[in-house]
Amino acid sequence: MSKTTQAPKALRGVGNFIDDRFHLAKTGEKNLRKVFPNHWSFMLGEIALYSFIILLLSGVFLTLWFKPSMTEIIYDGSYERLQGVPMSEAFASTLYIDFDVRGGFLMRQIHHWAALIFVASLVVHMLRVFFTGAFRKPREINWLIGIAIFGLAMVEGLFGYSLPDDLPSGMGVRILQGVMLALPLVGSYISMFLFGGEFPGEDIITRLYMLHVLLIPAILLALIVAHFMILWHQKHTQYPGTGRTDKTVVGTPMFPGFAVKAGGFFFFTFAVIAGLSALVQINPIHLFGPFTPTSITSGLQPDWYMGFMEGSLRIFPNWLDFTIPIGAGYPIMTAVLVPGLVIPGLIFGGLAMWPFIEQWITGDKSAHNVADRPRNAPVRTGLGVAGIVFYGVLWLAGSNDILSETFSIDLYVTTYIFRTLAILGPIIGFIVAKRICLGLQRRDREILEHGYESGTIQQLPSGEFIEVHKESSAETTHVLESKPVITSDALTEGTTDEKGVENPEARKGMGKLRRSLAHWYTKDNISFEGVEPHSGHHLHHGSDKDH
Amino acid sequence: MKWITARRRHPLAGYVVVILALALFGVGYASLAPTADQASAQTLSAEAPSPEDVDTAAGKAIFDQTCASCHGLDGSGSALNGPDLREVGSAAIDFQVSTGRMPSMDPDSQMPRKPMVMSEEDLANLIAYYDESIRTDGSGADVPYDVPGTPPKADDFEDQAAYEAAIEDYEAEYDSYIEGADDVDMGMKLYLTNCAHCHSWSGGGGALTDGRWAPEIHDSTPRQIYEAMVSGPGAMPMFSDGVIAPDEKQELISYVKTLQAEPNAGGIFDLERVGQVAEGFIGWTVGLTLIIACAIWITAKQRAHD
Repeated sequence: MSKTTQAPKALRGVGNFIDDRFHLAKTGEKNLRKVFPNHWSFMLGEIALYSFIILLLSGVFLTLWFKPSMTEIIYDGSYERLQGVPMSEAFASTLYIDFDVRGGFLMRQIHHWAALIFVASLVVHMLRVFFTGAFRKPREINWLIGIAIFGLAMVEGLFGYSLPDDLPSGMGVRILQGVMLALPLVGSYISMFLFGGEFPGEDIITRLYMLHVLLIPAILLALIVAHFMILWHQKHTQYPGTGRTDKTVVGTPMFPGFAVKAGGFFFFTFAVIAGLSALVQINPIHLFGPFTPTSITSGLQPDWYMGFMEGSLRIFPNWLDFTIPIGAGYPIMTAVLVPGLVIPGLIFGGLAMWPFIEQWITGDKSAHNVADRPRNAPVRTGLGVAGIVFYGVLWLAGSNDILSETFSIDLYVTTYIFRTLAILGPIIGFIVAKRICLGLQRRDREILEHGYESGTIQQLPSGEFIEVHKESSAETTHVLESKPVITSDALTEGTTDEKGVENPEARKGMGKLRRSLAHWYTKDNISFEGVEPHSGHHLHHGSDKDH
Repeated sequence: MKWITARRRHPLAGYVVVILALALFGVGYASLAPTADQASAQTLSAEAPSPEDVDTAAGKAIFDQTCASCHGLDGSGSALNGPDLREVGSAAIDFQVSTGRMPSMDPDSQMPRKPMVMSEEDLANLIAYYDESIRTDGSGADVPYDVPGTPPKADDFEDQAAYEAAIEDYEAEYDSYIEGADDVDMGMKLYLTNCAHCHSWSGGGGALTDGRWAPEIHDSTPRQIYEAMVSGPGAMPMFSDGVIAPDEKQELISYVKTLQAEPNAGGIFDLERVGQVAEGFIGWTVGLTLIIACAIWITAKQRAHD
């Protein structure tokens, strides 16, 4: 006996007007009721979206005054310390934003902090998707779009960092040019083309500006929209739980529940970014001073997301450089090429390829809408941790001078430490993470079988003390029982068919490789086979003592 | 106690204990740890001390006691890591002693800046003895007495009025030296071309090769910066007055000191002006962490107990 409450007449009028023309009611109804699974780790991508919105808005504000010009002028603005100093118009106009535009300094800091948070949230969002296997069919394309967004965001950040033409900007651009020059054959042509002549030239800021405010943000925006549309269409993954299957989503409806949460979350994200910007000084270009090609300083790094590239440049040895003896000799700078191109290529290429590699190993072609618990895919989780360690070591190596000074470690020693760690760290990380996963699986099986430890100690008539185990809730039991069995059809398909003819696929090199990878991927798993929930003896202590 | 008993099993109790313990250690350490504020020498005079004010015999006594064990009684150095002092000049002596680096406790490692171990008078006597008996033909650079040294300290004065007068004199001298240089462009170019690649753009110092480091120069007085340039201590190259003229040195020192005194327009936390590493660290540990904590908060639900 529910009474339908009607919307006020005024609203109904507007609604009917729109609906008569666009027929939105049905679509709107469907989409507003769209269900979103509830979990904190599903909000990480939203942080990226919100900081991107903040970046767009604060960026538009900055473009109102920023002059992307390298024309040299004598500064005559209100920042007294630099009056009379020759500098580019780009730098002078950034000082103008800082000191003459009302709220300009805050907006510039908001833009910069939001950029740091944006890329950071991309990383944690991507890790969440990786560890929960949310990249699996049908979401491989969205995973690739995500990787593209990550890559573009880094480039976008690097270019934005270069625009004010302050001291670290110029040094960053110089490193970029160095990597370009190391490209065999085309390096010097690309550099001359991009800079319109020798470094630094007069064009680079204008060109980077166009890329930073127009081209890359447009592509990013398009990719983000596509990312969301695909997400909307495919629906969000969810963690295992009662009633949650590959066909049923359980969660909060888009309107009003989820919309309120998401809206509030935007304001919280904005508050943290604005709070940081108001209180913590970031990239103080007025203290750095303008860039000149002769200026150089220690202790400067790129923003954090370029840190792993800086680190790989710093620790990669130069033993492998060689010269092709043509004419006057043609040097191949592997010490720049490998860290500048091969390592990021490996990281991004590996990320992009992983869904397809995993699918190839397991032969799993079915669609997955329920996310894995990371422990239930130990090899994948181990590989993810190995990747994090590798990235993290390179990232730390990018700040080796600061670490050396702060912790009084010999600078050369840090180089050797990081070189060793870059190789050993991922291996150790893989082994440790996989062992932890297997340990957690064992505990899961234990809980499933015996229930959870209640903390209550009971004395039996015989004098024996036991801890009473209690039955887990139906939800927990369901989650534990739903552990998927990791298999691969490479292991089940025989090497010969029923007539004794060898399977040609399995005999070839790729087939053998696939079989051994499948063995490696599936061999260590705690089997839950035959485990009856709450069948363990602990529950029946006291009544049944003759087990 | 009942209050605690009732709450010690609260889910947040563990965190509260950890935070309290950390706060206790932090505050305790901060109140017990020695502060670096006492690290200043007491150069009172802006002019070279006149011969009748100094006592070379006392200077010899100091040299023989505190310097000769490594540098030799005649200053010619020794196998024990004591370099030859005969040609370094009095600027080097004043720099090393007034920054507390000499006498060194461990000749094998780089000395950090410390409070000067002797009085200002002792240092003047030591320099007079050095100039008279050890220095070869006036080689090396002299102490630049026209560049402001360390501000006077209250302990050296009998009464408050004399101390305040001395401070006022010192500040006038300091300001006229710093403000006498007004070509920021020249100072900045000289600093960023010659100094910043070790001492960093902010003067915060940086790491060098072989376990050495370029010290932070924030506590250095203009005179000490000048002396460091003309004497080239440790791994630092020498920038003689022929390479960077005295008025250029004045521009350079003025640039460093003005930058150091510059307020942090971007916010009350300047992250020690370390730059991007500190910013990235704060971005992750404060920024993203707070936002994720909020995500956990708004998606939290009552869990079935198990």
